[in-house]
Amino acid sequence: MWSTAPTIAAGDLVIVWLTRDLLQPLLITPGKDFNSRFGNYRHNDFIGVPYGSKVGAPTGKGFIHLLRPTPELWTMALPHRTQILYLADIAFITSQLNIRRGSRVIEAGTGSASFSHSVIRSVGSAGHLWSYEFHEARAAKARDEFTRHGMLDIVTLTHRNVCKDGFTVIDTADSLFLDIPAPWDAIEHAKKALRKDCITRICCFSPCMEQVLRTVSALNDAGFTDITMYETLLRPHDVSQIPPLPSIDDAADKLKRAEARREEKRLKQIAQGQRTKRKRDGDSVDPDELDLKRAKTDKVTEEISVQVDEIAQDLAAPNTNNRFSVSKVMSEVRGHTSYLTFACLLPDISLISAPRA
Amino acid sequence: MSNNEVSSSSVTHRLPTIQSGYNVLLRLPNGDIRGVKVDKDATITVGRLGSFFANELIGVPYGFTHEIVDKNLKIMPPRTLQEVEDTDATNELINDGESVQPLTIDEITALKQSGVHSSDIINKQIEAHANYSLKTEYSKEKYKKRKEAKYSKTFTTIEPTLFNVCDYWFNKDQTRIRDIRADTLSQILNLANVRPGGRYIAVDDASGLVICGILSRMGGEGRLITICDTDSPPAYPVMVQMNFDPKSVNGVLSSLNWATAQEDYTPVLPPSDVPAEDMKSERQKARLKKRKLVTDALASTREELFAGEFDGLIVASEYDPWPIVQKLTPYISGSASIVVQSPYGQILDDLQNKMRAVPSFLCPTVTEGWLRRYQVLPGRTHPTMMTSGTGGFLLHAIKVYDDPEASAVETHRSHRNKKAKMGQPQVVIEKESTLLDSEMAVE
Repeated sequence: MWSTAPTIAAGDLVIVWLTRDLLQPLLITPGKDFNSRFGNYRHNDFIGVPYGSKVGAPTGKGFIHLLRPTPELWTMALPHRTQILYLADIAFITSQLNIRRGSRVIEAGTGSASFSHSVIRSVGSAGHLWSYEFHEARAAKARDEFTRHGMLDIVTLTHRNVCKDGFTVIDTADSLFLDIPAPWDAIEHAKKALRKDCITRICCFSPCMEQVLRTVSALNDAGFTDITMYETLLRPHDVSQIPPLPSIDDAADKLKRAEARREEKRLKQIAQGQRTKRKRDGDSVDPDELDLKRAKTDKVTEEISVQVDEIAQDLAAPNTNNRFSVSKVMSEVRGHTSYLTFACLLPDISLISAPRA
Repeated sequence: MSNNEVSSSSVTHRLPTIQSGYNVLLRLPNGDIRGVKVDKDATITVGRLGSFFANELIGVPYGFTHEIVDKNLKIMPPRTLQEVEDTDATNELINDGESVQPLTIDEITALKQSGVHSSDIINKQIEAHANYSLKTEYSKEKYKKRKEAKYSKTFTTIEPTLFNVCDYWFNKDQTRIRDIRADTLSQILNLANVRPGGRYIAVDDASGLVICGILSRMGGEGRLITICDTDSPPAYPVMVQMNFDPKSVNGVLSSLNWATAQEDYTPVLPPSDVPAEDMKSERQKARLKKRKLVTDALASTREELFAGEFDGLIVASEYDPWPIVQKLTPYISGSASIVVQSPYGQILDDLQNKMRAVPSFLCPTVTEGWLRRYQVLPGRTHPTMMTSGTGGFLLHAIKVYDDPEASAVETHRSHRNKKAKMGQPQVVIEKESTLLDSEMAVE
C-alpha cells in the first residue's frame, strides 16, 4: 500500500495538487524533473519533504502541494481508461454492500480501478478483492498499477469476461459489484461466487433504466431478495461573502430623488423654453421640439440614477464586517452517474437447519 | 464464544449470526422497525405480533423472515417480486366511501382468537369484499399487502450493518443523528480515509453514529480518540444496535473532554499514589488501583493526542466548528483530511470562509449529498413519492504545511503578489492562480 511515513521518500507515489481541477500522480524518481505550468522542479528536492507540504518552484514563481495518495485523491488524479466511479457512488456502494475490514469482495469490470482502490483501502490486509476485466490492455494496465501501488496481497486481477466464463471463486464473496454493460448475464455466476452461510449482497451499476429493469428481473429470477434501487450525487456548493442586501427603502429613496431631479429639470426646461418662446415673438411650440426635449430629460434621469447607484455601493463597501456567507449549488453539476441496484442473497436454509445454540 | 466455528473462520468482528446479548432490529409486516434484546432463555414480545422464545433466534443468520407459531419461529422461504398481469380493469365503477366489507371487526377478532392463520382471514375478507373483482391486478395486490401487514405474524431480522443502523436511526429520529443520512455518513468515512489501522480524532454529538462508522470501518485495528463535552464519554445510543465485539472497541477507542483535551490544563484528580502503610483495607487498595488505572489512561490518552500526527479529523458537533477545527488541526498530520458535518449549510459556509483565509487548509469545499430511492416493481418502477429532503452538509479540506515564501505563478490581485518583480512578462492564468492560493474562485 502507499507510504504511511511522515516524509516523502524515493519510490513513493505522491499526488501533486496543481489546482482543484488538476491533480497528478507522481512516482518520486531521483534524477527526474517535474515540469508544469506552475514551475519546474527536481524530484530530488521532494525527498525528505513532509507529506502535505506546499513547495515553491526553484525560480520563486509558482508552487505545488505534495499530498499523500488516498483512494479519493487517486480518483481525482488517475489516468482514465474508462468512465470512472466518483466519491458519492463509491461511498454509498461501500456502505450498502457492508464493505469493511476483512470483507471479501468481487468486482467486474476493473475499468480505471477507481472503485478498486477504495475497496482495497476499506477491506485492508485482512480482506480481499477479486477484480475482473474483460479488456486485455486495460487489465494489463490495472495489474501494473496494483503492482506499483503494492496492493497485490489484497487484490487478485483476472483478465476474463465474467458474463461468459463466470468468476474464479465459489462460495467466497461477502459482496459483489457489477459495473458491466449487461449485468443480467453475470447474475447466475455471481450467485455461485457468493458465500452461502450468511446474508450476502450485490450491486449492479448501470446508467440506463432499461438496463436496471433487465437486471432486476434477472436478480429476481435468481432468487435475490430485498431489491432496492438508488441514485446518489454530490452537490458542490459555491460559497461567497456578500454585503447586506440593499433594502427597497433605498430603492424608493433613489427613485424619489431621481423624480425630484427630473421635475426640477423639467421646470428649468419649461422656464428656458418660455424664455426662448418669448424671444421668438410668441409663436406656438413645435411638438417635435418637445419630444426631443423629453428624450434629453430621460437621458439625464438615467445618468442621475447611475450616480446614485455608485453612491449606494460606496457606502456599503467599507462595512466588510457586515458581509455574510451565502452559498448556492454550482451552476453546472453532475446530474446523473448511474442507477445503483442492490439486492441480498439469503443463506441456504438447509445449511442452517442444524441444531441451534 | 459458543459458536467457535464461525469465530475462527471469520476475520470480521461481528459474527454473521445472532448471538445471545445482541440487540436485533426486526422489520414488521407494516414496515416498522423494532429493536429487541435477544437474551438466552428469555421470551421476546413484539407488540401485536405476540411473543416468542429468544433461543429460536440465537445462532441463526440475519435476513430471514420468521413466522411466530406458538412462541416458536418458522423460517419463511425468501419471497421474490411477483409479476402482475395487466388486465382491462379500471377504477371506473369503484366509488369511494361505499361500504364494501361485510366482515365486521367483531367477526375478524373472533377469527383471530380462534387461531385461524392470517392468510385465511385475508381470503375470507376477499370473498366477502363486494368490489374485489372490479379492482385492477395492481390494486388487488396492494389490498392483499395491506391486509397482510395487518394480520400476519411475521418479522424479518435486519443485519446490523452500518448502513442499516444509520437508516434505522434516520427514519426513527433524524435530528438525534444530526440529519446524517447513510449516503452522507459513507462520504464522511471515505473523505476522511477511514481504514483499518488508521488513527483518527472525532467529535461526535450525533448519538455516536459517526464513532460507530469509524469503528466499523477500522474493524478493531487502529486508534480513535473522541472528544466530548461531558466528564466521561456518554453511552452512545447508536452503538447499542451495532453489537460491536468489546475487544474491537476497547483497544481502539479512548475519550477526552474539552477540558482534558487542553494542553495547558492539569486535570484535577483524586490522589492515586497513597503510601502502602496508609492502606487500610483490601477494598481501599482495589479502589486506589482502579483509580490509578483511570488516571494513567487519561494521562496516556492526553499524551497521545498532543503528540499528534493523526490521519484525520472528523467533526459532527453542536458546537461552533471553527474553534474545534482550530484546536484539533495541529494534531493531524500533513495531507490528512478534515471533514466537518452540519445539518445547516450556513454553518459550513461560515466555516469555509474562515478556513480559506488560512493557508494551512487546502481547498475547503462544501457539499451536500443527494439521494433518491426508487420503487422497483415489475412494470411499476419510479422514484418514491416521499423522500428525505436532506442528509446534512459536509465540509472537506486537506491540512497542508504552508510555505510563506512560495508565491503563485501570477496573480491578478497585487497585494498578494509580494514577490512579483517589476518588468516580468505577464502570463495571466488568473483562475488557476487564485485556486492555487487554496481559495474557491469567487466570480
